[in-house]
Amino acid sequence: MNISFTKKHYIGIASVFSILAVWKMLALYFDSSFIVPHPEETLLTVIRLIGSKDFLHVAGATVMRGIIGFFISAILGLGVGIIAGVSQGINAFVNPILITIRSTPVISLILLALIWFSSGMVPVFIAMLTMFPFICTNVVDGIKSVDKDLIEMARFYKVGRSKIITGLYIPAIMPFIISGASSAMGIGWRAIIIGEVLSQPRYGIGTTMQSAQTFLNVDVVIAWTLIAVLISYVFEKIIRWSEHKIVIWK
Amino acid sequence: MGLEVKDLTKSYNGIDIYRDFNLSFPEGTITCILGPSGCGKTTLLNIIGGITTPERGKLIGFEGKSFSYIFQEARLLPWKSVQGNIEFVMSSELSVHERHEQASSFIRLVDLEGFAGYYPSQLSGGMRQRVSIARAFACPSDIILMDEPLKGLDLPLKQSMIRWFSQIWKADRRTVIFVTHDVDEALLLGKEIIVLSRPPVQVVTHEEIEELPESRSLENDMFKSLKHVLVNALEA
Repeated sequence: MNISFTKKHYIGIASVFSILAVWKMLALYFDSSFIVPHPEETLLTVIRLIGSKDFLHVAGATVMRGIIGFFISAILGLGVGIIAGVSQGINAFVNPILITIRSTPVISLILLALIWFSSGMVPVFIAMLTMFPFICTNVVDGIKSVDKDLIEMARFYKVGRSKIITGLYIPAIMPFIISGASSAMGIGWRAIIIGEVLSQPRYGIGTTMQSAQTFLNVDVVIAWTLIAVLISYVFEKIIRWSEHKIVIWK
Repeated sequence: MGLEVKDLTKSYNGIDIYRDFNLSFPEGTITCILGPSGCGKTTLLNIIGGITTPERGKLIGFEGKSFSYIFQEARLLPWKSVQGNIEFVMSSELSVHERHEQASSFIRLVDLEGFAGYYPSQLSGGMRQRVSIARAFACPSDIILMDEPLKGLDLPLKQSMIRWFSQIWKADRRTVIFVTHDVDEALLLGKEIIVLSRPPVQVVTHEEIEELPESRSLENDMFKSLKHVLVNALEA
C-alpha cells in the first residue's frame, strides 16, 4: 500500500509527540507513579490489560452498552426526526424537549437513573438520552434541507409517494444521519463511562477505572482511558467508512 | 382534437396575470411561447400541468394527458446515476427489465452511452441537461412541458442541445410546449411561435416555421427578418 505523508500528517504526529513529551516531563517532575506515571509504563499497562482474561468482559460490556444505546437512540431519533421534519407543529412540540434533554447535566440524569434502573441499565439509559437529541436534530435538519426543486420534479412526474420517500428523502438525509451518528457516538462513550463509574455494574470500563482510582493505580486509570479513546476512534472510523460506502455520489 | 386554454383567469397579489385568455396548441408539434421575463409563462405551464389552479377557465383536450418536464436546471437526483435518474420517473407498472431497457435506449439517443453509471456531479452542465431531455422522453407522457431549459447556456451549446432535442423528438413527434424569453431559442426550435405581452397577457403575434429544427440557421435571411418581427413584438 502506498501511503503518501502530507504536511498535515507530519503536524498531527508532531502534536501526539508533544503530548507525550509534556506527559514525560510531568512524570519526571513529580517522580511518583501515584501522581503521574511514565508514558512507557502506562503503555505497558495498556498491553497488560488487553492481554488479561477479564479484558473482553470489561471492554465488551461497555461496547455492548454503547451499541444498544446507539441503536435505541437511532431508532427513536429517526422516527421522531422524520415526523418532526415533515410537520412544523410536531417540530415545535419536540424542539423544547430536545433542548431540555441536551441542556440537562449528565450527572442529574445519572442520579435519577440510579434510582430508577438497575446498575447495568443506567449507562444504557444515559447513552440513549445523550445520543438521541443529536440524531433527531440532524434528521430534522436533513429533511428541511431536501432540495425543493427535486421534490417538485418528482411531483410533476407523478412519482409515487413511497418511491419519493425511498428514492428521494432517505438518500437526501443520509449524510445528516451519518453526521448525527458520528457526533452522538463521540459524546455517547463519555456518558456511558461516567454512568458506569457511578452505577458500578459488574463489568465495564467505568467500573474498573473507579476501582483503580480507589487504589491509586493511576497508570490503570490512564490505560483504560486510552483504551476508551481507542474504542471511540474505531467506531468513528466505522461510521466514516460506512459514510464512504453509502454516500458514494459525493 | 386540439389542445386549448379557454377563458383563463389567474391573478397574483391582486394583479391579473391572465384575464379571459385563450390559446390553442396543435398536437404533435413544438409550440414555443415567447414572452418577456415575469409575464406568467411558467404560470401557464403550471396551469397546463395541473400544478396551479386558475381562478377561472377551462383546459380543453388536456384531460387524462400525462406530462414530462424539462426545467431550467436539470433537477437530477445527485445520488442516482444517469440510468437511475431516468428510471426514477418511469412508471412502476413497467418491469425492472423494461425500465432498464427503455432508459438505456434514451441514454443512447442523447449520446451518453458509456455514462449510464455516472453520477450527475461527474457530468458537465450540458450533459446533465441531455439526461433531463432523455428523462422527459423516456417517461411515456403525452405532452412535454419545457420551462426555459436552455437559459444560461452559450449559443453553441444551445444549438447542440436543440439538435439533441429535435433528434429524439423526430422519433415520436410528441406535443411540446416550450416557454422562453429568448428569440433565438424560439427560432431554432419552435414550429409555432406565439409571442405574449406583459400582464394581463395577450397574444401579440403568432408565427409558424415549416423548416425542421436541425436544418435551421439564424444567419438565413428569412430567419433574420422573422427575428426582427419577434423582437419588435416582444418590445411592443
